[in-house]
Amino acid sequence: MVNVTKGILVEWYVDLKNDAAMKQLLLHLDETHALGNKFIVQDLDETHLFIAPEYLEVLQTRIDDLMDRISFPLAERETD
Amino acid sequence: MSVQQRTLDCKDLHSYLKTLTATVLDRLYNHPATCLAVFRELPELSRLYIMRILFVDQAVPKAIMGSWVSPNSAKELEDIVKLLTELRLWQEVEMQGGLKGWLLNPTFRRNLKGALLGGGNEWSMKPPTDADPKARGIAILDEYAMGRWECVLHFMVGSHQHEVISSDALQILQHAGLMKKEPGENQLTITRDGFQFLLMDTSAQVWYFLLQYLDTATARGLDLIDCLGFLFQLSFSTLGQDYSTDSMSDGLQKFLQHLREFGLVYQRKRKDGRFYPTRLALDIASGPKKSMLNAMTATSSNQNSGYIVVETNYRVYAYTDSSLQVALIALFCELMYRFPNLVVGIITRESVRQALRSGITADQIVSFLRQHAHPECYKEPPVLPSTIADQIKLWAIERDRFVYKDGVLYNQFDSQADFEILKNYAQERGVLVWHTTHGRKMVVTKEGHEEVRKFWKRHSRNGSM
Repeated sequence: MVNVTKGILVEWYVDLKNDAAMKQLLLHLDETHALGNKFIVQDLDETHLFIAPEYLEVLQTRIDDLMDRISFPLAERETD
Repeated sequence: MSVQQRTLDCKDLHSYLKTLTATVLDRLYNHPATCLAVFRELPELSRLYIMRILFVDQAVPKAIMGSWVSPNSAKELEDIVKLLTELRLWQEVEMQGGLKGWLLNPTFRRNLKGALLGGGNEWSMKPPTDADPKARGIAILDEYAMGRWECVLHFMVGSHQHEVISSDALQILQHAGLMKKEPGENQLTITRDGFQFLLMDTSAQVWYFLLQYLDTATARGLDLIDCLGFLFQLSFSTLGQDYSTDSMSDGLQKFLQHLREFGLVYQRKRKDGRFYPTRLALDIASGPKKSMLNAMTATSSNQNSGYIVVETNYRVYAYTDSSLQVALIALFCELMYRFPNLVVGIITRESVRQALRSGITADQIVSFLRQHAHPECYKEPPVLPSTIADQIKLWAIERDRFVYKDGVLYNQFDSQADFEILKNYAQERGVLVWHTTHGRKMVVTKEGHEEVRKFWKRHSRNGSM
């Protein structure tokens, strides 16, 4: 017997291999049902997760929001 | 559903032809102009091969052809064999004694000969017999072409002070997925693809637009072969020369009117009996890669040459009075001041993210800024400060900390042996994305799943018997 599941493989961006914090964030979102329900199908290894496809969009927005909160404007905008 | 960030796929002439069916291709080669256009776009080595066998009216053994290149170029030979076969320019035949050989497509052979040597039916477009009393110069044609084309772009960015475009153009925009109608709304809105389209250079835009047009040609009662043939004819015409419409069929006349609307040809009056091809049309057969339009951009005055200066403090100065160009910059810039011939904006994280969210990629923004850089910027390279280019890319990467791939997970294998067999099979097919021996899990690509599944079914059936 073999079990087959369709979904989405989440990998880390090449330069950010072993970004453990981001993985913890995903696990946290999963555990707290932050996206409405659990979305991680399988925790594969340190750098791979397998998630349910229907949560992709909301997950992306969530991460985007988070990155937005922890950034500050760079450009100077003085009026001259 | 696909999770990959889609970029607009702008095919060149050959990749487009490869998408056509064999019968369409064969009919297409009935036209000398098409054969010549296809021939001149081939890589050099393939042209050499075709020239060598063009006048040999029989198949040539593969072994002989193989000896025409030195052994270390075997890879290139392989490539051209593949290309020529895919374009149906030649086909494999069995020769006497079981030898395999290549035979040039007879239609293609006949018409390429015709194009090169003359004879046969007249295939190029004819100038009218009498001179045009109101002849148009090249400058006017250029201006007209750009004006018409910008009209389409204007419509897309939604600056409505210009005339509205026709329903045919609307349909094509919708069909191409560049604009769409939200349910319950009358207005068309621009899509992700549309944004990317806006930032492409003009020749790529025209080519992409035409491909989409040809896609729907049959639906609007036009013959695809005729249209393509005519486009290729156009690409052999001379700029500034007028051509007669007398011998054109009704279908082609209709096609001509569409081309006229997009600025590919100029016609003073519909009933004039003559038309002028513009630079937009002359470019077509060469596809997006090399283009005369860029030459035009370089030579003509202020309007088309670069107008953007970007400073290291993220400020953008755009010397332009065109509302289209301002609208384009506003896609990824926060505008601060506006003067009659100058717009000042600033690139911020927020404005770039806004652009990224609407589907534009960082590379497109950077290449747009480079492409339209003010001539002054070229005096001191880099044209675009590298801090800016890097920062825009960093902002994009920040949104993509993860890479998402559609896939199918296989787990809970009964035995290590089963797992190994399936894993190796997927690996050989190149569809294995990830695996671990530890928990006997593997992920294959969505595309590869069907194949792997079939294999597994066969395998498990054999195993149980």
